[in-house]
Amino acid sequence: MSRGHHAEKATGKGDPQCFRGEAPQPKFKVGDRVRIRDLPDIFYTRCQVYTRGAEGVVAVVTHESPAPEDEAWDNVDAPEWFYIVRFKQKELWSEYPDVYANDTLQTEFSERWLEPV
Amino acid sequence: MPSDTRQKVMRHIDIVGQLQPALHQPQHAPLPTAIDNAHFRAYMRTSHDVGGEPDVSIEWHEKEEEQWELNTYVTCECLAWRGVWNAEERRRRQNVDLGQTQYLGLPYYGRWLLSAARIMVDKQHITLTELMNKIDEVKKRHE
Amino acid sequence: MAEKHKPAPMVDEVSDFEVLEVAVRELAIEKGLFSAEDHRRFAEFAHSIGPLPAARLVAKSWLDPEFKKLALEDGFTASKEVGIDWLNPTGFGTPSDYCDLRVLENTPSVHNVVVCTLCSCYPRPILGHSPEWYRTPNYRRRLVRWPRQVLSEFGLQIPADVEVRVEDSNQKCRFMVMPMRPEGTEDWSEDQLTEIVTRDCMLGVALPHPDRKADDKRPVHKAANPVHGH
Repeated sequence: MSRGHHAEKATGKGDPQCFRGEAPQPKFKVGDRVRIRDLPDIFYTRCQVYTRGAEGVVAVVTHESPAPEDEAWDNVDAPEWFYIVRFKQKELWSEYPDVYANDTLQTEFSERWLEPV
Repeated sequence: MPSDTRQKVMRHIDIVGQLQPALHQPQHAPLPTAIDNAHFRAYMRTSHDVGGEPDVSIEWHEKEEEQWELNTYVTCECLAWRGVWNAEERRRRQNVDLGQTQYLGLPYYGRWLLSAARIMVDKQHITLTELMNKIDEVKKRHE
Repeated sequence: MAEKHKPAPMVDEVSDFEVLEVAVRELAIEKGLFSAEDHRRFAEFAHSIGPLPAARLVAKSWLDPEFKKLALEDGFTASKEVGIDWLNPTGFGTPSDYCDLRVLENTPSVHNVVVCTLCSCYPRPILGHSPEWYRTPNYRRRLVRWPRQVLSEFGLQIPADVEVRVEDSNQKCRFMVMPMRPEGTEDWSEDQLTEIVTRDCMLGVALPHPDRKADDKRPVHKAANPVHGH
């Protein structure tokens, strides 16, 4: 592919806006309970290990974009939906103090990392 | 929350916290039997994934930017603007590919800079010989 | 050029980072990967950014419920009203910051704080360059797991009945916090309000206060050859 293909695609729209309409229908909606999959660690990801296997709730369905694992090698052929998921801190860290039971953490995942609970 | 994955994740975070860049210690390629799966995973850890690792408290600092740091940021963005790489490629190269020792040992924009040099060579926009000659030439300007 | 406060060095020592930076930039331009004019234009942009537009976005939101609604729903569009077009300076945005600003609203029951554990994702176009502490592995390691301890090191104690919500910014969204308007600012103008919404307030490690127009003083590492024109 020629140099500048991304600029051509995104100029006047922005990124991730330039991938709008390219992903299949989103599998999850706001409020869905999800678990973070523990896919193999190899070479690159933006799915933090501390979230793997944890359960949370979809807080925002954000946008469509290639997954980082693909885009990090300039492959933009298969955009996915992205989701901000909210976790109870206690779910992530068992030692988290009970007195702060309301505390939460949010972070974002491409669809492949989520499975329904 | 207790599940097999969560236990593994917690053990993983413990192990990677103990992995330090090898600066002074001789390392010997271990026998395959010396590396169990938990340690394999720890070695495969992408070096940028530091969330949750234990650390001591430090004093929070501000910093003036060096001119070369701002120039580096701009160069990296221009390379993306003109299609040499995208930001995710840059992140992979500067936060993961360079390995734990350089990741933790070099300044933030030092890693940006190395990844910019590397992408130009890797994608064959320049040869390593050209880069070496250019570095040599720039150095001589200051002699 | 010799600086005022220190004697001129015996030799004009140049760091390997400086040498490599010049080498990479010159080669990229010689090979036509980008032009000198591209570099100049982007540098101009990089010099121009800072936290004021974000502060104004917050102040406007405090004064105008309609604008606040827009800011919370569509940060990209709301940014234009404070002079920030996320498509600048390339026509598709800054490559590293993307174009999806999300504004996180603090409420009496929720306090937001931002980190990027994987690198240092930061909403540069509207908030400027990230502070040094935000880039440290230390902040990135600890904020997600011990947020209240880290916040207390910034001088911020959040009551136990308030939910501390850590936002680990790891993909293409960029985040800023919209703090609550402090008491004692009734009848203040947008300009006055803008002055107390500091960078740290918009990262969630501080709260605005009517008497506070700058972030806490911290040690500053001086640069050997600082950015010109600042």
